[in-house]
Amino acid sequence: MALLEVDRVSVRFGGLLAVSSASLTVEAGTITGLIGPNGAGKTTLFNVVTGLQPPTNGDIIFNGRNISRLGVHQRSRLGIARTFQKLEAFNSLSARDNVLVGVERLSRSRRSNRSVHTVADEALAHVGLSELSHITVGTMPTATARLVELARAIATEPKLLLLDEASSGLNDDETGQISELLKRLVAESGVSVLLVEHDMNFVMGLCSKLYVLDLGQVIASGSPEHVRADHAVQSAYLGTTPPSTADQAVTA
Amino acid sequence: MNLVQRLRSTLGLSVGLFVALGVFVVYKGRQAPGVPAITADQVATALFIGLAIGALYALYATGIVVVYTTTGIFNFAQAAVAAFCAFLYWQFRVGWHWPAPFALCIVVLVIAPLIGLLLDRLIMRKLEGAPFVVQLLVTVGVMYFMLIATGQIWPPDASTPRRLPAFYGTKNVDLGPINLTYHRAIVLGVAVLVAIALRILFRSRLGVAMRAVVDNRSLAALTGAKPDVVSAAAWSIGSVLAAIAGIMIAPEIGLDPANLNSVLVVAFAAAVIGQLKSLPWALAGALFLGVSRQFLVTFLKFGGDWTFARDGVAPVVLLLAVLALPQSRLEVGRITRNLKPIERTSKVWESALGGVVLFVLFLTLSGGWLHFGLWDPGSWNQIALNRANEALAVAFIGMSLVPLTGWAGQLNFAPLAFAGWGAFLHLRFVSNGDRETVSVWWLLLIGVLSAPLGAAVAMVASRLRGLYLALASIAFTELMARLFFPHPSTGFRGFNTFVPFDVFGWGLVTRRQLMMLLVAILGLAMVALTILRESRYGRRWIALNNSEAAAATLGIGVASTKVIVYAVSAAMAGVGGALYGTAFGTVDATRTFTLELSIPIVLLMAIGGMAYPVAALFTTFQFIFRALEERLEQAGAPGWIVKILEFLRVFGPGLGAIGMVVNQRGAAFETGRQNARYLPWRRDAKEEFAATKAKAREPDIGQLGLSAPFTPTDLVAIERRLGVTDELAIGVRHGVA
Repeated sequence: MALLEVDRVSVRFGGLLAVSSASLTVEAGTITGLIGPNGAGKTTLFNVVTGLQPPTNGDIIFNGRNISRLGVHQRSRLGIARTFQKLEAFNSLSARDNVLVGVERLSRSRRSNRSVHTVADEALAHVGLSELSHITVGTMPTATARLVELARAIATEPKLLLLDEASSGLNDDETGQISELLKRLVAESGVSVLLVEHDMNFVMGLCSKLYVLDLGQVIASGSPEHVRADHAVQSAYLGTTPPSTADQAVTA
Repeated sequence: MNLVQRLRSTLGLSVGLFVALGVFVVYKGRQAPGVPAITADQVATALFIGLAIGALYALYATGIVVVYTTTGIFNFAQAAVAAFCAFLYWQFRVGWHWPAPFALCIVVLVIAPLIGLLLDRLIMRKLEGAPFVVQLLVTVGVMYFMLIATGQIWPPDASTPRRLPAFYGTKNVDLGPINLTYHRAIVLGVAVLVAIALRILFRSRLGVAMRAVVDNRSLAALTGAKPDVVSAAAWSIGSVLAAIAGIMIAPEIGLDPANLNSVLVVAFAAAVIGQLKSLPWALAGALFLGVSRQFLVTFLKFGGDWTFARDGVAPVVLLLAVLALPQSRLEVGRITRNLKPIERTSKVWESALGGVVLFVLFLTLSGGWLHFGLWDPGSWNQIALNRANEALAVAFIGMSLVPLTGWAGQLNFAPLAFAGWGAFLHLRFVSNGDRETVSVWWLLLIGVLSAPLGAAVAMVASRLRGLYLALASIAFTELMARLFFPHPSTGFRGFNTFVPFDVFGWGLVTRRQLMMLLVAILGLAMVALTILRESRYGRRWIALNNSEAAAATLGIGVASTKVIVYAVSAAMAGVGGALYGTAFGTVDATRTFTLELSIPIVLLMAIGGMAYPVAALFTTFQFIFRALEERLEQAGAPGWIVKILEFLRVFGPGLGAIGMVVNQRGAAFETGRQNARYLPWRRDAKEEFAATKAKAREPDIGQLGLSAPFTPTDLVAIERRLGVTDELAIGVRHGVA
């Protein structure tokens, strides 16, 4: 059974249909990618899944349960965690406190009887920030603060991890590290990952399945190789000359 | 926000209240003999007078909306500017007998725009990109400053109270059965003219630019709009509207700064009905408020205990308007990343040490063991002790803002409303018997009993953010001050004596004993807050302040967390209120727990640094200066020294708040940063200071070759910065030993 099912979700902002009847599924224990040009509606879809944006239509099924009516924090408690494209780190807190905020509301059994501090320190070690744990996040460079957000999300031991542009602002080395970390996480704790990405190498190497969103619609899905070959995807990314304009040019 | 929603909320609200009023009026008209029936003429007259009053409110609200839509700054100083201009007009017209048209032109067309330009140039333009709380509190500071200045330039004169004459005196326009003075007819006409003028302006090129600038200043600049011109224009127009409003309303409600400023709440209500951006809706809201006020005054006779209830209309409408409007959801992408200096909060033992030092200091000073020649035993001592007690109680109330506003970011103008509730509990349940003292543990119970009030406010306000939350807290303070505290059943009327405390049966009845109790409680509260800051609650509240959306995605219930922090703050303020009453001994509570007195506390806390408990000591500064003035006067010091102190005391909160334009994080933060290195155990601060100094000595690499020449030393610095570690090689290569 799929862990997450997005069922024909639409989001309308006034006259703009940001997401149009988009459906996708994330299987348990896999990494799924969501790609598409700027403004395709990827982040909006993330917001719908986490509850920050109520959909105009459609449902979100998580773990077999319809969570469309649940609040943001309730969904988080079911095991959905995320990072943000535009940073939403707690700037006045230290890196460690950032992670602790999330860990502290986990029950003792969810933390497998470890202390909150142990869990937080482990998460920071995972992303390689042990040395910087006492630094105020507001003073960190964006790329580092992004890692804090990642640590904060994985520390809550989610079933589903939504990563919005996790690699942006990172160099190749760091991107590689994140990639390794995600693979390890999926293998060890069985978390499922849905990620929005711009870095194609990152996506192609990591994801078992891809969805391509363009103008709010899912235009292709499947394995990375399949998607790469897809004609619609190529035209969405590279653009084609619409036949009508070409005709007009001739007649004029 | 779509039109349907807006119609539903705003129109529903207005129509509902109008229908209720209409039903009531008809009902009154058919009442039993003895009560005079209401005639259609009376209703029509009340309607016209109400419209005229509403037109005055509209002038205020319009000014606020124009400035807000173009600069994004919500101007608390609107009514204060109006009051200042009204007094200035009085000075010209009545004081110096200038002809009315000339005086009007000078005030409205010359001085008012000048005030607007100065505000824009000197203060508001520097607030672009500042945190919302700072933007808001700076305008509150301007308001406070203007009001104090007005009061100081034109001090109240009991023998010949100033009056601003209405235009054309008391002559009436003949409208058949309806009685309307010329003045009110002119007001209506002016409001219509202003509405038309603004309509034309907003359609013009400048108007379009004005609306573009608020969305994105630099983007608008790229398209050819001149942001500086636009914001200067907006502030000038705002000031001109304020001047007109002030001059027109003063004959109606009297020439008194506080009175003139109290229109602010009504103006806010009208502006909020217009969602702070729609002029027509703000106008409709203002007219509605004016008419309903007039109907209440004319037809509704509040009986018995509720004769004062009329004053509660404006805050009730403000609260309803704020609550009825659709609110934004959790938003993402609002965080601006400005790199902040590294911050190290006090350790628990450090604040405990601070508390002990404070305690010993007070003990020594008040014992007269250390007197520096200022501290003669005698009558002044008692006065000084009184001032100290008042100051400490106020400091405790101010401290209640630390978790709520400083950490959780919930701007709150209601600390004294919660404090009044605590004082009420103390008075009601303890002070009405023949009890001599009450155990200090009662304070804990007051805290527990005050928390639910905070929780209730949080539940009502949990959907509100930022500005709307601040407005709701203003409405709440006004409601408590105008409807609850004055009610006879509170026992607040007149002067009440608060029962002092005892510790394990040892009565703390003298001024000095009470002071030591206050210092001890203040110290304990500081330590408690430091512990709280490091606890999961402190973290959670700060997280909420930084990003509600992120906190929610981590499973933190935003609403329930707010309820807790409001409850904690209300509990602290409640305890503070009981202490405040006891510190003053007798209190006319109806004049004590008001919005007017809340504002300087909030401002002084902000000046001190809202996020730091020690900032509470800043709220004591007015009392300390007061005590010093009294002492110096008694000692026969030259008058000008006393005057300077007095000037600093009365203008301090306003000027300090305006100063937040430069120093946004408050004095406690800056003081800590500058001086932590002198503490023997703060090795980290010493190192940081040394590092900063070393960095300041290094050349600015970005300027090399542009404004500074390359020198061998610079090249060394660059290589070091690039991480070349071989010192010897560097030195040899560049010929520097």
